[in-house]
Amino acid sequence: MVDSKQVSEVATQARNAFAEIRPEPGVAKADPILHVVGVQRHFGGITAVNVDHLDVQRGSITALIGPNGAGKTTLFNVLTGFDPPDAGEWQFDGVEMNRVSAHKMATQGMVRTFQLTKSLTKLSVIENMKLGATDQIGEHWWNALVPARWNAQESLIEQRADELLTRFTIGHMRNEYAGTLSGGQRKLLEMARALMTQPRLVMLDEPMAGVNPALKQSLNEHIRGLRDEGMTVLFIEHDMDMVHDISDWVVVMSEGQIIAEGTPSQISENASVIEAYLGAHQGNTMYEETH
Amino acid sequence: MDWIRIIENTFRAFAGVDAAYFALAAIGLNVQFGYTGLLNFGQAAFMACGAYGLGLTSQYFDISFWWGIPIAMALVIILALLVGIPTLRLRADYLAIVTIAAAELVRLVVRSVKFKRIFGGSDGINTFSNEFRALNPFQPSAQYGIWPFRYNGYTMFTLLVGWSLVAVVSVLVWLLIRSPWGRVVKAIREDEDAVRSLGKNIYSYKMQSLIIGGFCGMLSGMVFALDRGSVQPDNYSRDVTFYILTALVLGGLARVMGSIVGPMMFWGLYVFSDNFLRQLVQSAPLRIGGVTIIQSTQVGAVNYMLVGLGLIILMSKRPQGVFGNRNEMALDGR
Amino acid sequence: MNAKWGIRAMVFIGGIMLVLCFAGTQVSAAENDLFVIAQVNHQTVASGISTREPVQGVKVAVLDEAGVLVGEAVTDDMGEAKISVPSRAGYTVQLDTSTLPDQLSLITGTSNSFVILADDFKTQIKRVSFFIGDVGVSTTTLVEKISQRAADGIRLGLIIALCSVGLSLVFGTTGLTNFAHGEMITFGGLMAFFLNVTLGIPLLVAAPFVVAFGGLFGLGFNWVIFARLRKRGVGLVSQMVVSVGLSIMLRNMFLFQFKGRTRPLDDFSLQKGMDIGPIKITPRDLTTGIISLVVLITVALVLQRSRTGKAVRAVSDNPNLASATGIDTQRIIQIVWCAGGALAALGGIFRGLDEQVGFQMGSGLLFLMFAGITLGGLGSAFGALVGGFMVGVLVEMASLVVPSELKNAPALLILILVLILRPQGILGKKQRVG
Repeated sequence: MVDSKQVSEVATQARNAFAEIRPEPGVAKADPILHVVGVQRHFGGITAVNVDHLDVQRGSITALIGPNGAGKTTLFNVLTGFDPPDAGEWQFDGVEMNRVSAHKMATQGMVRTFQLTKSLTKLSVIENMKLGATDQIGEHWWNALVPARWNAQESLIEQRADELLTRFTIGHMRNEYAGTLSGGQRKLLEMARALMTQPRLVMLDEPMAGVNPALKQSLNEHIRGLRDEGMTVLFIEHDMDMVHDISDWVVVMSEGQIIAEGTPSQISENASVIEAYLGAHQGNTMYEETH
Repeated sequence: MDWIRIIENTFRAFAGVDAAYFALAAIGLNVQFGYTGLLNFGQAAFMACGAYGLGLTSQYFDISFWWGIPIAMALVIILALLVGIPTLRLRADYLAIVTIAAAELVRLVVRSVKFKRIFGGSDGINTFSNEFRALNPFQPSAQYGIWPFRYNGYTMFTLLVGWSLVAVVSVLVWLLIRSPWGRVVKAIREDEDAVRSLGKNIYSYKMQSLIIGGFCGMLSGMVFALDRGSVQPDNYSRDVTFYILTALVLGGLARVMGSIVGPMMFWGLYVFSDNFLRQLVQSAPLRIGGVTIIQSTQVGAVNYMLVGLGLIILMSKRPQGVFGNRNEMALDGR
Repeated sequence: MNAKWGIRAMVFIGGIMLVLCFAGTQVSAAENDLFVIAQVNHQTVASGISTREPVQGVKVAVLDEAGVLVGEAVTDDMGEAKISVPSRAGYTVQLDTSTLPDQLSLITGTSNSFVILADDFKTQIKRVSFFIGDVGVSTTTLVEKISQRAADGIRLGLIIALCSVGLSLVFGTTGLTNFAHGEMITFGGLMAFFLNVTLGIPLLVAAPFVVAFGGLFGLGFNWVIFARLRKRGVGLVSQMVVSVGLSIMLRNMFLFQFKGRTRPLDDFSLQKGMDIGPIKITPRDLTTGIISLVVLITVALVLQRSRTGKAVRAVSDNPNLASATGIDTQRIIQIVWCAGGALAALGGIFRGLDEQVGFQMGSGLLFLMFAGITLGGLGSAFGALVGGFMVGVLVEMASLVVPSELKNAPALLILILVLILRPQGILGKKQRVG
């Protein structure tokens, strides 16, 4: 699978960066874009997240895997400011992020998507996209009243949005309501919209969930493309094949903790991962942590 | 039955001052509820801010009535911060609960004996509009207009001011809504988390929307107060907000024309129903088989029953309004 | 429009109207003209609270602006003298002091005549009040005042707690903030009036029926409107606006039948207070207080112990999870509406005994109920009990320092402070906020 694939230069670099790293939980990376220390989140008596240490290597595709209820989405929520942690701190590109509100994180280059896609259904696809652009002059009400002030910027944004839509193969839908898109198209739209913020770190929460196999392949390509353009990708996924296929590094969570780290091939040979994964899957509930 | 009279009154109400001040308040509610999804159930309190802003100039400060505008704006901002700061981070219900409570409290405070010296108590204030009346270009007692739209000179003046404000405010709101600012607030209505993840400070946008809508309410209260020449606390009761909401939904949420046409239709229908019923029972209560169905003291209650019924049916069947596009609403279950 | 829905709605509305038809019949005899109603009350002040009792047999006259007699009448058992007047104009209302009962006179400093202006006729009826008795000589101590207020507060708190259980449970199980909940209370009060006053059934016999009707009324809300809206996937915000429409409609239906005035129930309306320590309380108030407490404890026990109660709490916690574990959510929601309506109706009877019955009696409590359930934790039944009780006590206690016309103001303050400091309320679950 992976080995036979044509690998880009950036990808090779990214993989080489991990060559020296020991495959153990919480190991330090050479050039972390995200550095997490002692983050904890409790719900009542349950510890949803308890991460002692996690580095995400810059310019890599890192997968975050684990059984249902392992705390992956909760960790995402905490790291992106959507859920306040009970303890811990984390730095994004050297900047302390604890207590920074969610919207500020996005403007600083750390953007996320959601497990259940959040297309703004009654806005058109192109409006959805344009919303993503940061630092818009016309988003201040006093400028909004004078179209001349924001028209120039608006057309630049629209141009960029159209390019991204074309790249994500939904350009033909630009004037439709987002509510009319199919599930897979919504995933694409959400990813493209996140890119409008011009992020350095893209955090994708189950980008492949509910997407048909053909589209999965093209989503894979898009994610690789992000890395090749210099972005860092951290994504949550269930599908081990897909993880194998595109990730440079894999982080495994179980019961709120990181239990293993390593390259995809190292992880697939890791006994404790297989046990945590398969063991927990037997007691799988229908109730996935979504909030 | 005097049909000519009923039709005349209906048409006059259609374009009347009541429709104009309802339209201003409805434009505000539309910004808040229709576009941003904020459920402000206390628009009456924002209207009271406008009316009492004017009233205070004569009752308390004894200064020119023009100062009423900055005073009212300050009151609106204070009220918006008071209700917005605790609730705008929470689910939509909390804003509704707090605004309805705040509106009720505002009414109690302005009509209280305790603050009578400032707000005039339950008698209200009626000494502030002389400067405004002096600006009237029409002969106050003369009749103007063509049938059925005939009004006296003073009403003509407030109509002119009221509808001009409606026009100006609508254009401003239209500009806001078609701008990137409008895009952000519409997106907040759809899904706050998505907007937050894209780097927008939704708390700030909601507050802006609340205040902008509040200013529209303020203008509405001013037009109403100037037309009546008095400020009465009981004109700003909780139900006024709900009638305006009904008028807005009648015209259609989230469309600029809806918040103008809705109030016109609301008042047209209301006055028609009121006049019709009153004429019906004018001489004797309506009886069917010896049972009194309706008598003249009950006409008001019947009218408002119909308003309530209208709101139920419109909101559950046609939130897009009478002329709205069903498809847009079908995209989700809001 | 769906025909089935139309039938449901017609059955429901028809049912309410049929029931209410009778509530107003006593007073609906020709009220086509303008009236002046003079109300004469005997006001006594004890332990810091004033009680008013109507005075019968006092002659009142109405003179026009020229001083010509327009009409005169003698007060009835309600203390009211009703005098028809020809038009909206200025009048003088005069009380004939010689017809006052022995040893009673007008309160010092008040006049026996009252001037009405044409503008005063906001509706067809203009009411003026005369008070007799001596007022102002209050000899209560601070301790007495405080304990009296506390006792009143506990009573109000119990009523609010009783009324808000349904509001909170409906919110918990369906997510709907029901702005028409106050009308359920009014419905209870008006039903009690209809059975007790119009039909003359003793209140103790009538009360269980009122509570049962209240339960059906609550069930009707769900059956006719909200179950349908949920099924169609109408959003919660829209449902909330629909409940506002329902509130307006019902309140005006009540007004239509019952008219604008407030009236007392027949039974237990005039009672002498007993002195218990520093507190003066009527046997009626003591009894309603005890009944409320017993009912509230029962509700708490049912929620805590019974199968249904546990299911209700499970649905409140997480409807999806609950239905996944085999709980029939729709049935639980029906139970909640029914129980909520019944409790609100009981609260309506008690409130009616306390403050008289009127078409706005419930909507006036709505805001206090909101403050209560927010304080207790939106969606939590125990929260509603505790929060409602606390708000009632706080509001009454606050009136020691706040003018009574503004005594609801502290409730708003509580509401705002709770939302800033602890939005989930004292008993609510911690959830993600903003």
